[in-house]
Amino acid sequence: MAQLIISVGREFGSGGRVIAEELAKRFNIPIYDRHLITEIAEKTGLSPEEIEKYNEKPKHIIISRKVRGYSNSIEDNIAEMQFNFIREKAESGESFVVVGRCSESKLKNFSGLVSVFILGDMDAKIQRVMKIYEMDEHDAREFIEKKDKKRKRYHNYHVGLHWGDSRLYDLSINSSRLGIEGTIDYLEQYIKARAALEESK
Amino acid sequence: MTAAQIFAVVIFVAMFVLIVLDKIERHFVTLGCGALTLTVVFGICMRSGSAIWDTIAIKGFATKEFWYQVTESESKGINWATILFIAGMMVMVEGMAKAGFFRWLCMKIAFLVKCKTIPIFITFMVMSAVLSMFIDSITVIMFLAAVTIELAQLLKFNPVPMILSEIFCANLGGSATMCGDPPNIIVGTSLGFSFFDFLTNTGLVAGICLVVSVIFFYIVFHKEIAGGTDKPVDISKLPQPSEAITNKKDFIISSIIFGLAVVLLITHATTHLTVATIGLAIAVLTLITSGKDALELIKKVDYKTLLFFIGLFVVVGGLEETGILKLIADFIGRISDGNVKLMIAIILWVSAIASAFVDNIPFAATMVPIIQSLSASAGVPIETLAWALSLGTDIGGSATPIGASANVVGTSVAAKNGHPISWGRYCKKLAPATVIVLAISTVYLFARYL
Repeated sequence: MAQLIISVGREFGSGGRVIAEELAKRFNIPIYDRHLITEIAEKTGLSPEEIEKYNEKPKHIIISRKVRGYSNSIEDNIAEMQFNFIREKAESGESFVVVGRCSESKLKNFSGLVSVFILGDMDAKIQRVMKIYEMDEHDAREFIEKKDKKRKRYHNYHVGLHWGDSRLYDLSINSSRLGIEGTIDYLEQYIKARAALEESK
Repeated sequence: MTAAQIFAVVIFVAMFVLIVLDKIERHFVTLGCGALTLTVVFGICMRSGSAIWDTIAIKGFATKEFWYQVTESESKGINWATILFIAGMMVMVEGMAKAGFFRWLCMKIAFLVKCKTIPIFITFMVMSAVLSMFIDSITVIMFLAAVTIELAQLLKFNPVPMILSEIFCANLGGSATMCGDPPNIIVGTSLGFSFFDFLTNTGLVAGICLVVSVIFFYIVFHKEIAGGTDKPVDISKLPQPSEAITNKKDFIISSIIFGLAVVLLITHATTHLTVATIGLAIAVLTLITSGKDALELIKKVDYKTLLFFIGLFVVVGGLEETGILKLIADFIGRISDGNVKLMIAIILWVSAIASAFVDNIPFAATMVPIIQSLSASAGVPIETLAWALSLGTDIGGSATPIGASANVVGTSVAAKNGHPISWGRYCKKLAPATVIVLAISTVYLFARYL
């Protein structure tokens, strides 16, 4: 089987992580999201909590500096470790699903890459976040906006291109239209078609 | 204020902000701002071809004084001597690194002290300071921090205190000589000082401060570092220093060239060879002896830093030509009211505080014309102000993780190997050490020059 790398970018509350997990199950390949943190923790000796603290966060501009590719920002270094990790996995020929981490851009040179971006209607995202995190509507909206703002800054800083811009992904899909299950089914078909195409090359 | 002055200040401030924001690579920032200075400030506002010509300073290459200098002289505009010297040293350092010199030296010293953690801690601090007297602190810390982490894994100790101490000592060692830190090269070549001038002035106080710093770091860190393995270490099982040497012939040649560079620098006041000549000679020698690897070495030179310097000197030239720096010098003169002690304290401490947060290279480049003007108007010897500026910019940079290049590289190497160093962790020990060293420097400057 040819290498398959599924990159899932997502808006907070759109169900992107659940979709990525289900796709990993259906294609029977590992997923790197939280697991990425554990793997890096094992490799570096840091605790997963420490990595989580700086995970997918943009650096603080005023208190950070870069010299010849070296950065004092812990956020930058954690991000770099994650980029290297997924790059090494991709280079090894392994098939996997990766959530976020600018993977659609960092792995764009791998022919087996299928990149998707999951978005959602704000109302649907609020309902989902209210249910999962037991929040009221106001807090849920603020939480979503805060999380997405961070993801956007993180992505745009490391890639230099706009997070969620459809031109960066093979497919952008609104999970509120078909629902989570429907979106997964749709993506499965699309990815199968892409994998078949890759196989036939 | 004239239009030229306003534009010169706006361009300078924009350059600093853009460097801090780090959205655009800093050499593009300084080159862009330099181009604006040449066209808007000198061309449109001042309509002065001579200002452009003086700032570009390209005619300096054709003068004998640029290469061979019997009497000390000052320079204006783009400081080509600084750029040429840094480029030459970059080529030499690349050659040394390729041959495995730095890794060998670190491992050799660790083995000489039988791989015992506290002796490694102390000798690495001293080595960091001594190497940084001749080689850029980025390279020194890049290798020292990497070897420290490797030894920490083998000997089971926490490398963070050791890396922090090495960073501090690298910056301190850099303050001791003319070629130790870019601000010193700028100060030295702009004001016509020799390697020996620095060594006998800033070098002396740096030596005193190094002793104090080693004692300070031993007191604050020894428990953390000594917490390694209690079992005796079988050093025969550790990677041997000789394994670090990639090519014996290249290693010997690069060591000889390094020795030659040190001798040329120490004796340049006697031989009258300028740092530009030394930089060029060292680079040419390295390239000739490296044979087919010469192209690889040239490619590894950090052109971005050299371009950064060129743009920076033009922007600072804009401030100088329009008289802005003289206004600042007059302001410092007024607030110190002729009190030389206060003047020295202001230069030392303001330079230190500024360098703790912004790049000390543009700061030093800006301050050189200011202290020249201040010296002329207040009648204070330029040497006294120059040593205050050098010590302030070099040592002040140690206070925060972003104050100097060595800090960024050291903390980054640590983080990449699973030892992230937060601002709090960094400043808790290094900010007090910086204040102590600055206090010693203040007393030294007062006692020796007043």
